[in-house]
Amino acid sequence: MSSRSGLGLAALAALALFLAGCASTGGEQAQPMDSKTAAQSALSGFSLGGINVGSAFGAATKAQEAFGEVTEPQEIEMGKSIAAGLLGAAPLEKNALEQKYVNNVGLALARVCGRPELPWHFGIIEAPQINAFATPGGNIFITRGLVERIKTESELAGVLAHEMAHVVQKHHLNDIRKHAQKGLVLDLAQLKGGGGLAGEAARAVARVGLEGYIRGLSREDELEADAIGVVIAARAGYEPYGLPSVLQTLATVPSSNADMALFLKTHPSPSDRLTALEAKLPPWFDTLAKPNPALVRFNQTFKQQAAAAKK
Amino acid sequence: MRRSLALLCLALAASVVGAEPATTIRAVDLKARAASDAKTIASLPINTSVDLVRREGAWVQLRSGKDLGWAKLFDIRLAGATTGPTKGGSNSLGDVLGLASGQRGASVTTGVRGLDEDMLRRAQPNAAEFDKLVSYASTKEQVDAFLKAGNLQTRTVEWLK
Repeated sequence: MSSRSGLGLAALAALALFLAGCASTGGEQAQPMDSKTAAQSALSGFSLGGINVGSAFGAATKAQEAFGEVTEPQEIEMGKSIAAGLLGAAPLEKNALEQKYVNNVGLALARVCGRPELPWHFGIIEAPQINAFATPGGNIFITRGLVERIKTESELAGVLAHEMAHVVQKHHLNDIRKHAQKGLVLDLAQLKGGGGLAGEAARAVARVGLEGYIRGLSREDELEADAIGVVIAARAGYEPYGLPSVLQTLATVPSSNADMALFLKTHPSPSDRLTALEAKLPPWFDTLAKPNPALVRFNQTFKQQAAAAKK
Repeated sequence: MRRSLALLCLALAASVVGAEPATTIRAVDLKARAASDAKTIASLPINTSVDLVRREGAWVQLRSGKDLGWAKLFDIRLAGATTGPTKGGSNSLGDVLGLASGQRGASVTTGVRGLDEDMLRRAQPNAAEFDKLVSYASTKEQVDAFLKAGNLQTRTVEWLK
């Protein structure tokens, strides 16, 4: 305990500031960029939201931009730190073929999510809890406990797309900015140097990020991620009812199940989410759902893995 | 053609394993096909107990007594929230693979702490594990092939209002 607070003080002292002018982050979330906008920002280097990364790692130059205080490279470095922190709590599942499969689904979604230029990574975490996580910068995790509740590739896509929507909308990034100590400045150089992911700056970022997973995002952020997630899945060619189908399943897990505790603490109830999502779906959404026999590969993939694991 | 038919059969078989108990959350017209303009074969009041037989996109096939027909996914909630911890989707992957029991319910007995609040608070960064995560990323060509094999075509869909 004492070492933690000691580290925290050291890290605070070590960090360069990062939250300059962050008071303007409240209010409306930006809509996801369309692919054209995303392509343009990819073309103009690392610019996102009009920030020129080349200018400085520190203070933002265009305060009028919604996310002007954090450059995309900074966001990516923060995400690495937080991902390494999560993986310090529980490691990746060892099954390479399953990990590859999840990356294929995720990267298919990444192409149409609005931020295709991010270095997206996807992983199954070896943990019995039922949950999924997104870090800023595009690292997406799903627990073994949740994978076991998933029946189809469309459902997997729905879960990943929900998490990706948090990244596209910068929900966690904004949450971190809101809750980080005023005056905390995140210097990209500090993150990259000073011991890498095990360095003090990275540890401090990881701690703030991981606290966010315990606190949870707002109800509005979660419902927004559901509504964006189904569209991302549909854009990639999946029938978009995978996410609500998973929510149907999760609604049956008793709240007394300890593996659901954190998920239920940090999300609206699955049944509430279904009600909210249904209200947002226009009538034509049904027409996006066509049976796709090719996706039976989901069962084949995971059954092969189970058979291999038994040997 | 024959291959896709075989795949379709596989897909259907996979989605039909065991009916799941469910309840209507509103008055529901059970349709003969998975389409709004299909014939109504039965009208179910709210809170009717049904069995979910099959999922198909926005639709679910329900059995109610001798009636078998289609309703919207959002018309029902699956039963089971008050049953034991190993109940749930009866054909979920974990159940199919026989992984369901032992990992659910009282996690204190599993010996695996995983991602609970306490572990998140105490976590120390694992850089090697992050490198492993990066190593699983697919190449552009692999994703192209994955999309093609899955018959997945990108399409334009507006963000919801």
